[in-house]
Amino acid sequence: MSSRIKEMMRVATARLGGEQSPRGGTSQAGRAEASRTARLGGGGGSLRRQPQPQAPTVRTIYCNDREANAPVGYKGNSVSTTKYSVLTFLPKGLFEQFRRVANLYFLMISILSTTPISPVHPVTNVVPLSLVLLVSLIKEAFEDWKRFQNDMSINNAHVDVLQGQKWESAPWKRLQVGDIVRIKQDTYFPSDLLFLSSTNPDGVCYIETANLDGETNLKIRKALEKTWDCVIPEKASEFKGEIQCEQPNNSLYTFTGNLIVDKQTIPISPNQILLRGCSLRNTEYIVAAVIFTGHETKVMMNSMNVPSKRSTLEKKLDKLILALFATLFTMCVIGAIGSGVFINEKYFYLGLRGRVEDQFNPKNRFVVTILTMFTLITLYSTIIPISLYVSIEMIKFIQCAKFINNDLNMYHAESNTPALARTSNLNEELGQVEYIFSDKTGTLTRNLMEFFKCSIGGEIYGTGITEIEKGGAERAGVKIDDDEGKRSATAVHEKGFNFDDARIMRGAWRNEPNPDACVQFCRCLAICHTVLPEGEETPEKITYQAASPDEAALVAAAKNFGFFFYRRTPTTVLVRESHVERMGSIQDVAYEILNVLEFNSTRKRQSVVCRFPNGKLVLYCKGADNVIFERLADGNHDIKKTSREHLEQFGSAGLRTLCLAYRDLSREQYESWNEKFVQAKSSLRDRDKKLDEVAELIEKDLILIGCTAIEDKLQEGVPACIETLSAAGIKIWVLTGDKMETAINIAYACSLVNNDTKQFIITSETDAIRDAEDRGDPVEIARVIKDSVKQSLRSYLEEAHRSLRSTPGRKLAFIIDGRCLMYALDPALRVNLLGLSLICQSVVCCRVSPLQKAQVASLVRKGARKITLSIGDGANDVSMIQAAHVGIGISGQEGMQAVMASDFAIAQFRYLTDLLLVHGRWSYLRLCKVITYFFYKNLTFTLTQFWFTFQTGFSGQRFYDDWFQSLYNVIFTALPVIMVGLFDKDVSASLSKKYPQLYQEGIRNTFFRWKVIAVWGFFAFYQSIVFYYFTAAASQHGHGSSGKILGQWDVSTMAFTCVVVTVNLRLLMSCNSITRWHYFSVAGSIAAWFLFIFIYSAIMTSFDRQENVYFVIYVLMSTFFFYLTLMLAPVIALFGDFLYLSLQRWLFPYDYQVIQEMHKDDPHEYSMIHLPERSHLSPEEARSYAISMLPRENSKHTGFAFDSPGYESFFASQQGVGVPHKPWDVARRASMKQQRQQQHTGRS
Amino acid sequence: MTPGCVITIFLLIGITFVPVGLVCLQASNSVAEIVHRYDIDCVPDAYRRNKQAYIKDSLISKKCIQKVKVQYHMKAPIYVYYELDNFYQNHRRYVKSRSDKQLRHGMKYTDSSCGPLERNNGLPIVPCGLIAWSLFNDTFGFTRGSIGIMVDRKNISWRSDREHKFGKDVYPFNFQNGSLIGGGKLDPDIPLSNQEDLIVWMRAAALPQFRKLYGVIEDDLQADETIDIHITNNYNTYSFGGKKSLVLTTSTWLGGKNDFLGYAYLVTGSASIFLSILFALIHVKIPRPHGDAAYLSWSRKSSN
Repeated sequence: MSSRIKEMMRVATARLGGEQSPRGGTSQAGRAEASRTARLGGGGGSLRRQPQPQAPTVRTIYCNDREANAPVGYKGNSVSTTKYSVLTFLPKGLFEQFRRVANLYFLMISILSTTPISPVHPVTNVVPLSLVLLVSLIKEAFEDWKRFQNDMSINNAHVDVLQGQKWESAPWKRLQVGDIVRIKQDTYFPSDLLFLSSTNPDGVCYIETANLDGETNLKIRKALEKTWDCVIPEKASEFKGEIQCEQPNNSLYTFTGNLIVDKQTIPISPNQILLRGCSLRNTEYIVAAVIFTGHETKVMMNSMNVPSKRSTLEKKLDKLILALFATLFTMCVIGAIGSGVFINEKYFYLGLRGRVEDQFNPKNRFVVTILTMFTLITLYSTIIPISLYVSIEMIKFIQCAKFINNDLNMYHAESNTPALARTSNLNEELGQVEYIFSDKTGTLTRNLMEFFKCSIGGEIYGTGITEIEKGGAERAGVKIDDDEGKRSATAVHEKGFNFDDARIMRGAWRNEPNPDACVQFCRCLAICHTVLPEGEETPEKITYQAASPDEAALVAAAKNFGFFFYRRTPTTVLVRESHVERMGSIQDVAYEILNVLEFNSTRKRQSVVCRFPNGKLVLYCKGADNVIFERLADGNHDIKKTSREHLEQFGSAGLRTLCLAYRDLSREQYESWNEKFVQAKSSLRDRDKKLDEVAELIEKDLILIGCTAIEDKLQEGVPACIETLSAAGIKIWVLTGDKMETAINIAYACSLVNNDTKQFIITSETDAIRDAEDRGDPVEIARVIKDSVKQSLRSYLEEAHRSLRSTPGRKLAFIIDGRCLMYALDPALRVNLLGLSLICQSVVCCRVSPLQKAQVASLVRKGARKITLSIGDGANDVSMIQAAHVGIGISGQEGMQAVMASDFAIAQFRYLTDLLLVHGRWSYLRLCKVITYFFYKNLTFTLTQFWFTFQTGFSGQRFYDDWFQSLYNVIFTALPVIMVGLFDKDVSASLSKKYPQLYQEGIRNTFFRWKVIAVWGFFAFYQSIVFYYFTAAASQHGHGSSGKILGQWDVSTMAFTCVVVTVNLRLLMSCNSITRWHYFSVAGSIAAWFLFIFIYSAIMTSFDRQENVYFVIYVLMSTFFFYLTLMLAPVIALFGDFLYLSLQRWLFPYDYQVIQEMHKDDPHEYSMIHLPERSHLSPEEARSYAISMLPRENSKHTGFAFDSPGYESFFASQQGVGVPHKPWDVARRASMKQQRQQQHTGRS
Repeated sequence: MTPGCVITIFLLIGITFVPVGLVCLQASNSVAEIVHRYDIDCVPDAYRRNKQAYIKDSLISKKCIQKVKVQYHMKAPIYVYYELDNFYQNHRRYVKSRSDKQLRHGMKYTDSSCGPLERNNGLPIVPCGLIAWSLFNDTFGFTRGSIGIMVDRKNISWRSDREHKFGKDVYPFNFQNGSLIGGGKLDPDIPLSNQEDLIVWMRAAALPQFRKLYGVIEDDLQADETIDIHITNNYNTYSFGGKKSLVLTTSTWLGGKNDFLGYAYLVTGSASIFLSILFALIHVKIPRPHGDAAYLSWSRKSSN
């Protein structure tokens, strides 16, 4: 049940992003406000908005008293997100349709064709237009129906409402303002509620706001003490509070109001408000009063209108349509001038003497010209493919609904999440993406740190193999067995710990050559941290609350090695140590924590001074390898050297490393230092700096214990996916809020960067900038940073060019941090930035704010005019997702913000391969084919009319019967092209992925260039001439065997037959894969034409129009030359196309054609193992490949990365929420917790 | 579309089209056709400079006798056509100026579609409209020496037109009574469905040069025979410089003389054969290995 509602909420809230604000609640001003802020990209990507201007009135709600509330007439709790109602559907839907230029154009043509200047009956344009409108309206109705059903399922979800003295289940829509409701754990709040009481003793409850802002951490709400006892229904029914509060508004984080109970006025803060869309966690149930319902809830008032994106292909299509308009205009001008010249009284049979209507009046040739212009516009209107847009829409819609959403390859079984196309107008854009901007956490990585390896005393422990090592080994041809089967019995995989080495598990380290180092190693892990244990104090049940997942992983590792940290008091750390004295012995040891020297990005280390129970003073330190190595005591070079090697090894395997060291302190040493420390801590000016300086005094002469390697667990298949995407010519940029080390580390792990890559790093962490910062003048700091950015950009750009010339195959990477990026995005430097980043294969931007992510995306989008894609999972990616051409949200996780803003939602990063390389590419190819084909078929058809115009004295006489013309687009040639749009595939999905290079055809836009269109245009021209003149010439002197001559309608029927047959056959020729659907639809279309003409020429009613084609086809079919022409014209028409296609394929084959040929005979291509492209490595590629295979001993990268507690506060401070966690906070919290526990025990 | 496949397709097209073309040509060649332009010759010398005056003057006899020599043996039935050139029967103003309803159901269906010749003197015209009004009215008779040759003028229109488009009880009314006489007149006692000249004329032609069936001669004409054609040159094509010709032709299964189809087939067929040979040669000389990965763009790029 709860999962069902969750799903419903997911859909409902996901829609918030997609649809315009529904009717009801929202005022006009509110809507304008919402769209304005949405456009700004919402700095933090959150829904935080300026509050609306307050309505002057105050809402007064009488709790638990429906009668009292009745006079006000609050809106019910049912929501409707539908666009239309039964009544408004037709007018509103039609209005929406006519906002499209093509439809409006055809409406105008239809109106024009009711006037006498039209050569065609209105039916010619009205029928296709109404069919197109009908299809569009059906689609709209269908979508709206789905929305309606969604609304219904949400409105009918049940919640417990207080009735009398009992809880009774009622659907959400029955809720009214003032009702008292009970919400159970893990269910959603049905409306905005005032929190009254909770089953938790101190009136708190935990809520999750992921649906609102994407933040997955639990938030605490606390009820007013006055209402705590409402938890039982008897009490709740007695509660008769009166709430006076503000009118509904869209501000999620503000609330003003008072609760008046027992003549006492208590102010209500946002802390007592539970918003619709959030869910209750860790609380059995709560009781609350309804304050805002339905569309008046804050989340509904926040429904934002995501700016709809149009694909680049469609924009280019607009240009094509414009070109068609230009052609149309030219044709009309030629015809109109001709008519002006032609018209003459001498053609007496035209009756031009005396009073003649303006259009044919030879006395005023100018008016004739102008009016004929309009005549011809109506006649040639078919040049604009009316059904193109609706066909494309249908194709894309089905592509999304049937292919993308149903692709099993993109279905994530664990989270039960299929891919979801949230808009259907960007499918083909997926086939042309050149730049991918990816978020790191949650997208590339799982934000799961696992202790993976370690090096103790010069010995590596941990036998796991990282993804990147696997990839490397596979490239080297070494087959690696999946490790699942051969893991040893001691292997443990739990949260934060994924380690397998029998040598040190379960106390086995005692038998290792250096057990003492092991003890120190584990103690360091168990003591030197700021982690807070929670839950039961057993190794199985305990959970560690850490500011960074790295720390939790380290502590978890210590636990697994037998040093179980289980309790923290303000001054001590309690560790249950096993096997230390002897195997099997367990003892609880309390280490007194004397000082915590906190972690920050300058120090890159963290130390703890502790006192052992026996009084021994030890400083434990963990930190980046370079800072630790600087501070090591002399001697012991061997272990330093091997440790460094190990660090590099870990680093290149994509692991995050930390060095551990300790130092024994004498009492005197410590005390003299501690004085300075206390002094520094209590100093008022420059305290942080002074603390750092003091720390330097004691963090020296350290003894290296070893190092740890934590795997920042990548999402499944990420390196392989990235490799495939790069092979496809897609450049991947990582934009992350993380620190530079972390970001680089992930870049290594994702094989975006390797040791052969030349890195250009621009960072604000340089000495010059630090110096400037120390001086503290903000203007000066800005100038220094700007100068250094400018300088390094310029020199890097030169260097990059040089490197490109000297060693062309070399990979370049550009790494920049957010602060420098801010200056680099300055218009003056932007060109250099763009230049440099476009040269580099990979770009990593770290510590960037959400806004900067968006800026980078639009820099490439607008500056380089490349097609961009953004992928992210969190609220901070929203602006980036909206800024790029295509936005992709990672779904299936808790936060929905990114998905709500995205165009496509997938569950895993690796599904990008399928989405882009398979679906995107196919969509692109299909759409190109559909568009060019539409262009061709309408041009061909219209040009035959044009040639006819020349022989009718430019009078604008139509060549074809009205019905032929009106049904041409919608019946006789409609279905096959849709089949192609749906089913055409050049190569299979697996081949698309196997040859990612095929994707480059999309990036280069090979199939929708003016050249391609020109070729189609040329053949349309050629074919139209063939159709018109061949049928005309063939029937010129031809007559039936009884000598009877053919009239105009007979010739045109013949020509039309040829056009329909040829155009349909031409489609078959351009198909890559011909399925029975193709045959069926092509044969069906041709058969439809014949069926139509047979019936049409057989009936003659008194309602017939003029000049009908009665009996034409029967007479035609009694002649031989009809068949001869029908055989000849298509062959000659297609002769050119066939010749062109075969020569092109033969001499200048497209890549996909070569691959088709290569795999023509192997239906099961996966049985082939060899990769043919491997044999075609260029010397450079071969070299870089060889280099990448070399052992990595000269590597510099050691993989230091650590999420310092400061990291979280980075965004938090930007968003104005949250408080940075400091080590002393941890201690304070620990003490508070203890007090609370004591209280509890005392109470009970 | 492998090279082999392309070559085969071209070859197949060639193999089928060349014979069809030959057959068509043969059929077309077996048609004996006499085309005789008479519009200039039938104007008396005195009026050569002002043909319009001649044609408009109803006092001058329009009779005209032309001698035509038959070159080949012509086997009955011989179709007699008149051919007009530069006559835009497909002009929009012309094409729409008719009322199918009136033609079928009679006077009371006269509607505005016939404009500008809908009514005359307040009375509806049957058949109305420009097409009917401009009915072709030259007549032709044939004599061999002094013996007349029968021309069958029945059954020259489409049966479907006669039976379904032109009413059996619709009679011409108020036709050609205006100040301007366009073309032929109609016998008001014969229903429209029997006015075959009108029916033929009203099946508007597609192109400005067109033929219309006049009648059928059921006698053979011998080679080198000279026949006299008795023409009444009534119809005014001089004002707009149109040509008038008389056509006598025999017919085959393909219809009249029409070399176009035969040549088109022949050209297409031989071009196909030529191309298939050319391709075969290229394929043998410089073959592109089928499915050669070296042709992949990324392989080409790296080998450059």
